[in-house]
Amino acid sequence: MPPDEPSRQDDVLIIGAGMAGLSAALHLVERGLKPLVLEADPRFIGGRLASGEEVEVGGWHFRLEHGVHGIWSQYRNLQSMLARHHLRPVFTPSQEELWIYRDSHDTRMASVGSAIRYSIFPAPVHYIQLFLRPRFWWMIDLRDISRMFHVWSLLIMSVGIDPFREDQPMEGLTLGDAVKNWTPAIRAFFIGLARSGFSTHAEEIPLSGFLAFLRFYTILRRDAWAFSYLPEDGGRSVTEPLADKVRELGGEIRLGKKVLRLERGSIWKVYCGEEIFSAKQIILAVDASAASSIIKNSFNETDLYFPRSLANDIIRLWFDCAPKSGPESGMFTGNFVMHNFFWLDRIYASYRKWNKATGGSAIEVHVYGPPDVLQKADVALLAQVITEFYQVYPELRGHLIHQHLQRNAATHTLPSLGSKERHLGIKTRWTNLFCAGDWVRDPMPSFFLERACATGIKAANEVLKTRGLNEWPLVDYLPPESFVGWIEKLMVTGRKRRIAKRNARK
Amino acid sequence: MLSYASNLIKLARNDRHLNPSVAIYYVTTQCNLNCAYCEDFGARRNDHAEPPLPLHQAMQVLRVIRSGVDSLFITGGEPFLHPDIDELLMRAKHELKFREMTLITNGFLLPKHATALSAIDRLIVSLDSLNAQSWSPIIGIPFASTKSIHANIRNYAECQKEFGYQMMVNAVLSPEILSGAEALLEFCMEHHLLISFSPQAVNNWVRYELMVSSEYRAFIEKLIAYKKHGAPIAGSIAYLQTLINFQPYDCYPTLAPRIMPNGDLTYPCRPFEKANNGQGGRPVNLLNVKTWDEAWSKAYTAYGQPPHTCHSCFQQCYIEPSLMQSHPLTFLHEYLLYPSSRKGNLRTYAAG
Repeated sequence: MPPDEPSRQDDVLIIGAGMAGLSAALHLVERGLKPLVLEADPRFIGGRLASGEEVEVGGWHFRLEHGVHGIWSQYRNLQSMLARHHLRPVFTPSQEELWIYRDSHDTRMASVGSAIRYSIFPAPVHYIQLFLRPRFWWMIDLRDISRMFHVWSLLIMSVGIDPFREDQPMEGLTLGDAVKNWTPAIRAFFIGLARSGFSTHAEEIPLSGFLAFLRFYTILRRDAWAFSYLPEDGGRSVTEPLADKVRELGGEIRLGKKVLRLERGSIWKVYCGEEIFSAKQIILAVDASAASSIIKNSFNETDLYFPRSLANDIIRLWFDCAPKSGPESGMFTGNFVMHNFFWLDRIYASYRKWNKATGGSAIEVHVYGPPDVLQKADVALLAQVITEFYQVYPELRGHLIHQHLQRNAATHTLPSLGSKERHLGIKTRWTNLFCAGDWVRDPMPSFFLERACATGIKAANEVLKTRGLNEWPLVDYLPPESFVGWIEKLMVTGRKRRIAKRNARK
Repeated sequence: MLSYASNLIKLARNDRHLNPSVAIYYVTTQCNLNCAYCEDFGARRNDHAEPPLPLHQAMQVLRVIRSGVDSLFITGGEPFLHPDIDELLMRAKHELKFREMTLITNGFLLPKHATALSAIDRLIVSLDSLNAQSWSPIIGIPFASTKSIHANIRNYAECQKEFGYQMMVNAVLSPEILSGAEALLEFCMEHHLLISFSPQAVNNWVRYELMVSSEYRAFIEKLIAYKKHGAPIAGSIAYLQTLINFQPYDCYPTLAPRIMPNGDLTYPCRPFEKANNGQGGRPVNLLNVKTWDEAWSKAYTAYGQPPHTCHSCFQQCYIEPSLMQSHPLTFLHEYLLYPSSRKGNLRTYAAG
């Protein structure tokens, strides 16, 4: 065979076996197509929801993973897809989230999650419930209360502006700009919330992304904040069964195939190291940085916009006893190097079993940056995290039995919006090349796993459309609660009128 | 009423371990139908079905239940497949003196057990469609048998006054029967039957085809309008509104605990019990305890507080009591505004 001849030709080729690629593949195989899925990872399927290596602690084996632990109530397309194939696991509903804040004086903590999702006040004023919790008052001071106006203005702004639907990139504006004049505790609270979602610090979070994030996860509905944990690591719970289903229905998934570039002709050629594949249609379903590299290598396009991909570090600590009390997860804000935490023995079945048998506990701590922290040597980072951790949980001092540091590559999407011409959507400027993933430009409001799944379905629909096959309807997201819906309508109408007036004056 | 008030206090204290308002006893998991949408039992699973308890042991289970709960649902599988069902029902009513007894059946064997009907207060019969041709493949029995279920329902609807029970039809809404659902409602009005609708669940989630169906949404909106005008539709308006968009709800599964044929108490609900991932299970067998309180505290010791809502199965038997208990003002408002809603209370919601 000549060196640049494809080894095989497929109808549809999907690059990436993460949530976007697997969702696209499943919706194609269900319509009778036989896509080939190429995954760069040589061992694990699922991208950010893949399982990883095993670690052994005292004879017990635990599978590592990227650090994605569950889903939000608004992940409706993802859940519907899994349920349709009896792959939806029984989740562990989140009970509470703890806010831990440390300033120069001391460390304080308050439970906040359930106040937001089970508030008696309607959205968007449901955060008032936080003030009914005495512990919350302990977290803030008079300065925070006197400057609360700033907070409400940002919240109301997110009700009135839908950056994704209205195509408002707000280029150059970041969350850092918006919270610049806020008081320390409230700023720490919001930055903590944002960092949990965006995995980076406020100065890097685009304001458009943050507003869209608030809209999808909390401001429009109280119940949007309801979170459910997977019963086990993401690979075992979701992506591996999903991949098995794709194979069962006729799809093929090949691991260890890192795509370097594409070539357009009468059919697409896909260069994958020494190997060349070809297909009539391609769905590019890799993370933003990999997509950027493939597109640049293939088309010499340098002016395209790709949302940034972020790295993070995950530290897991095993103890021979459990902490006194406290919720299963939460966020560290203020003077901490750590940002998020999850007590794994309260979430995952295998850890729970271990806890029952040994009385031990295990925590996973996420560190999202800044870069100089992520670049610290393993020993230095672990030492700093463990020292800080003992300040919050002193009762566990001297009970550490195992520690593990995981460096995640830069694959986590920083949601943002580029201009229409530069930011790739599901349909691209190249015929028969479609994109899917949480970085793809699309007016739908969702994020991360749900966005990956929904764009995967939409990309599959584009393929089906060209072949005259039935497309898959997407499940709608829940509408805003009535009070906030009314405010939104008012604000949108007001803005439209103002713009019309301005245009008339011109 | 006392139990309702005490549960309200518990809720105010953020205690989710609410006292049951009813107990649901699966006397057998064997079934003579093979409904395509049934994810729990059905004839295809009969080989793996738990054997029913003999009468004296089943009575012992009911005795323990009665020590803590006065409202009982008897269900299955198909409860009429229990060899001693007639006597069990009579003794539960007259000896154990359950204040309210409901029997859930598929109606096929009704004529053989007519005498037992005097023991029950409510008879719930599964009926998804009046079109025997399209319904028979869904429930997995021959056309003629489907016709005889229809006939039984008509006959026993006429006997409501004679036997003193209230009869209700329970329909599972699936895309296949959606077009005939309105005719079913008319049939129920004509025969003085209450009717309840539950969306078909697949893998503890509403079936995808319903979630993306505008016809389904339009039908539920129509149901709400009918109910406001007094149509005999069981379930609250709040419940029906939840079904329009499938919005999350806060679930309190311990309000209606399930007891399996062998006497095992499931805790906190069937989905968690079946998942067996440490959040729930079968912590106690009622044959091994003397009182309901003892069983209940053993369950609590084993699994603690029921988890916060998984808000996903959308089955009326879980949503309705949870909504009624946790949103008293909504129900008061509904009660005052719509007289038709006064037909239901916490003990008489439609169990699926």
